[in-house]
Amino acid sequence: MLLRLAWAALTRHRARTLLAMLGVAVSAAMLLDMVMLSSGMRESFKNLLLSRGFQLRVAPKGTLPFDTDATIPGASALVARIRSDGDVTAVSPVLGGQLHVVLAARTVTAAAIGVEPAVQGDYEITHGREPAGPNEMVASADFLAASRLALGDTLSAAAGYDPQLRSLTGRRTLRIVGVAHFIYMPAGQRAVALPLATLQSMEGASAGDRVSLMMIRARSGANVDSVLARLQRALPSVSVISTASAMRQVDDRLSYFRQLALILGAVSLVVGFLLVTTLVTVSVNERLGEIVIMRAIGVARTRVVAQIVLEGVAIMLVGTVAGLGLGLITARYLNSILASFPGLPAAIDFFLFQPRDAWIALGMLAVAGVLAAVYPSWRGASLPIALTLREEAIG
Amino acid sequence: MLLPLLAAVALQQIDSSSPHRPPRTVASDERLAADAQVRIGDRIVLSSVPGGAGDTVVVSAFVKRSADPSEVARAEYRVRMHLDELQSLIGYGDRVDRFAVQSRGGAAADSAIRRVNAAAFGFQAYRSRDIAVETSRTFAVVSRFHRAIGVITIVASAVFLLCIMLLKVDERRRDVAALRLMGISAGSIVRSVMIESALVALVGSAMGVLIGWAAAAIVNWHYQALYRTPLAFAVITPAVVALAVSLSVVLGLLAGFAAAQRLVHLPALELITGRREPRAPNRSRAAETA
Amino acid sequence: MTNSDAVLVARDVTRAYHMGEEPVHAVRGVSLEITPGDYVAIVGPSGCGKSTMLNLLGGIDRPTSGALFVNGVRVDRLSDAEATRFRLHHIGFVFQRFYLMPALTAIENVELPMAEAKVARHQRLTRARELLAYVGLAARRDHRPTQLSGGEQQRVAIARALANKPSIILADEPTGELDAKTGQEMIKLLAGVNGDGTTIVVVTHDEDLARAARRVVHMRDGLVVDDRRQDAP
Repeated sequence: MLLRLAWAALTRHRARTLLAMLGVAVSAAMLLDMVMLSSGMRESFKNLLLSRGFQLRVAPKGTLPFDTDATIPGASALVARIRSDGDVTAVSPVLGGQLHVVLAARTVTAAAIGVEPAVQGDYEITHGREPAGPNEMVASADFLAASRLALGDTLSAAAGYDPQLRSLTGRRTLRIVGVAHFIYMPAGQRAVALPLATLQSMEGASAGDRVSLMMIRARSGANVDSVLARLQRALPSVSVISTASAMRQVDDRLSYFRQLALILGAVSLVVGFLLVTTLVTVSVNERLGEIVIMRAIGVARTRVVAQIVLEGVAIMLVGTVAGLGLGLITARYLNSILASFPGLPAAIDFFLFQPRDAWIALGMLAVAGVLAAVYPSWRGASLPIALTLREEAIG
Repeated sequence: MLLPLLAAVALQQIDSSSPHRPPRTVASDERLAADAQVRIGDRIVLSSVPGGAGDTVVVSAFVKRSADPSEVARAEYRVRMHLDELQSLIGYGDRVDRFAVQSRGGAAADSAIRRVNAAAFGFQAYRSRDIAVETSRTFAVVSRFHRAIGVITIVASAVFLLCIMLLKVDERRRDVAALRLMGISAGSIVRSVMIESALVALVGSAMGVLIGWAAAAIVNWHYQALYRTPLAFAVITPAVVALAVSLSVVLGLLAGFAAAQRLVHLPALELITGRREPRAPNRSRAAETA
Repeated sequence: MTNSDAVLVARDVTRAYHMGEEPVHAVRGVSLEITPGDYVAIVGPSGCGKSTMLNLLGGIDRPTSGALFVNGVRVDRLSDAEATRFRLHHIGFVFQRFYLMPALTAIENVELPMAEAKVARHQRLTRARELLAYVGLAARRDHRPTQLSGGEQQRVAIARALANKPSIILADEPTGELDAKTGQEMIKLLAGVNGDGTTIVVVTHDEDLARAARRVVHMRDGLVVDDRRQDAP
């Protein structure tokens, strides 16, 4: 019977009810997006960092990996020292640079990384194989498209450009043996990878025994924090960073988006709350006669309140379910905007959908719906019966 | 390539500068001063590698951050020093990364750019604003994001406003019915409702502007402290106020009009009783005069 | 001294409330006893306090002073929840404006008090059908109030009032919004209900309805000025 009465109240003014549900849907969409934004970035970044199983990273002192152009000198000794730790199963040194590919009438420039192919964690081969010799390289599909080269082609490349002489330095002939998806590169980036020693040699004296970054994989079951502490003590001239501390630093930089998410999420919740409370208040005011009659014939106040609250919750729930779909669409759109941050790895999503987020948004709105409807319905159900009947008769 | 000195600034004990040469002066970033408790007159040692040999310098000034959005999230410290000292410290030789050139402006700048690019080799001349466009791409993304959020918020506000106005007008259905039974024309009623809607929208807008102004002040206070920047994150301009107010008034009027139209076209008795009344048939003029 | 068999007892009941600055003494020291099965009409000019008296007897208003007993229970001392529960099981209301739930059909309106009293569904459906047949609306049970005439709505209201087999029916101007012919039908119906043993107290301006009662209580200015038995027509 209560359901019946609640349904009837909602369908009595269809346009009003639908508009309220639409308002709640928009609020719910915004709330879901903000919940996704607040947790999406760090989850996405964490997944990216751990995607290849490297739990620790070594960067130049005071920097984050590839945050600056700084490099780490004496890389070979450092790598050997790290590898000597019993809990370390792999160390992948990486040198960042540029490669200028000389073609007939033009030069194509690509982001280059020098790696040890056997332990590298920066790319996944999609076609072909890893470089086996010093003059072999892998390239991204975007690079091949821009340079109009293909798997198996040979090219002439240089690592540097002397502006005084307007000439390329560190030239070498390389062969493309693999096509790869570069995990940490932005979408559309022209990228190549070649053996570390080759890139160091092409960069000449400025590269020497230097790398930009080292990625460390600890053995399964090892206490990563202990490994971190040991390496930090042993290597004071560099920064050893765990995934957790890297995420904390990124969190700090992106705290603006988390706080924006919190503010906009709260505003959405408040707007949804106000909408439902206004609707229920007007609905109660219109039906005061019915409400007090129900009390007069013996329907308990709590049941009267429950029936009205049910209306508010119904609006919230229907609006929220519609809002979930709308929220996913707007999240995709907003994500496409933020994904165009210069230098952002393509794998990073700002809005990452997790079912938990939907439940959180749904839960918050359901609670808000109940709270929004409780006060006006309690007020309406608590009016003095005789006085209200008299006023209704006059009205 | 210029080594980022920031990564290597450390309060070192190793000083490789010549003992008889008085220390040169540097200007420190105010963030570094705050975090490392550096004061004017303090001596610090700058080196290009952690733990490496360096030069003793004296902090003679602090430099405030500029309101540059591209620097907001960057946490590095900055030190300004004499060019020759930095070149010597990092072994850069007689090299720089860029020159900044001030021209007489306008055509003189264009002419200077052309002559520099034609005559010299090894470097390229650009207008400052073209560089700024490139370096502010991050900010451009944030700006687009804000605009998208703004559009979504406006849509949500519009729906909310429409809903509230509809409720408010609907609540007065009995009053409207009574007026119509008295003989007040539908046009007069619609006009009256729209005036009321416009007033509600105007007063609401005024309150919204005040709330927005206060919120902007809080946002700026918070983020300027958080990122230690003078950059203004939220700015209320006359254009923004005009857009918000005009949008809400227009929406309020539309909502009031739609709701009022709905009410005046329902039979008055139906508004009072809630019972669906038979609609009066349309009578032609001929039928009326017959 | 009260009649212990009385189903309704009012002892020196007053009710005052404020209209703006001025206090209004709607009921001033009324004492009344109504026996089971009686049919009482409370009459008087507008503003004499008869509706207020009915509301007090039914527990939907509280007296400023005095005592009210219904079936031996002191109703003016019950909490709101207790009074609501009491009304559900002991008192049936019929109002001038019917006050049916517009969203429910006739049969659902009659079921409503039984649903609240946790009567099993099939039982309340059976009883609701019986009651609608009793008031002559068996064929209209699936119609909504907006599809019923005034008289039909009032019949449904009477059926609803009888749903939980109350010992008392309180009716406030039950013929007030009905035409003369329909009003007569209502009077006959109420007489029939009374004939089946239910105590009825009506407040009315309708002389025909007042004549149908066995006892007429005249009120004026919040006081009972006359109280006499009369032969039923």
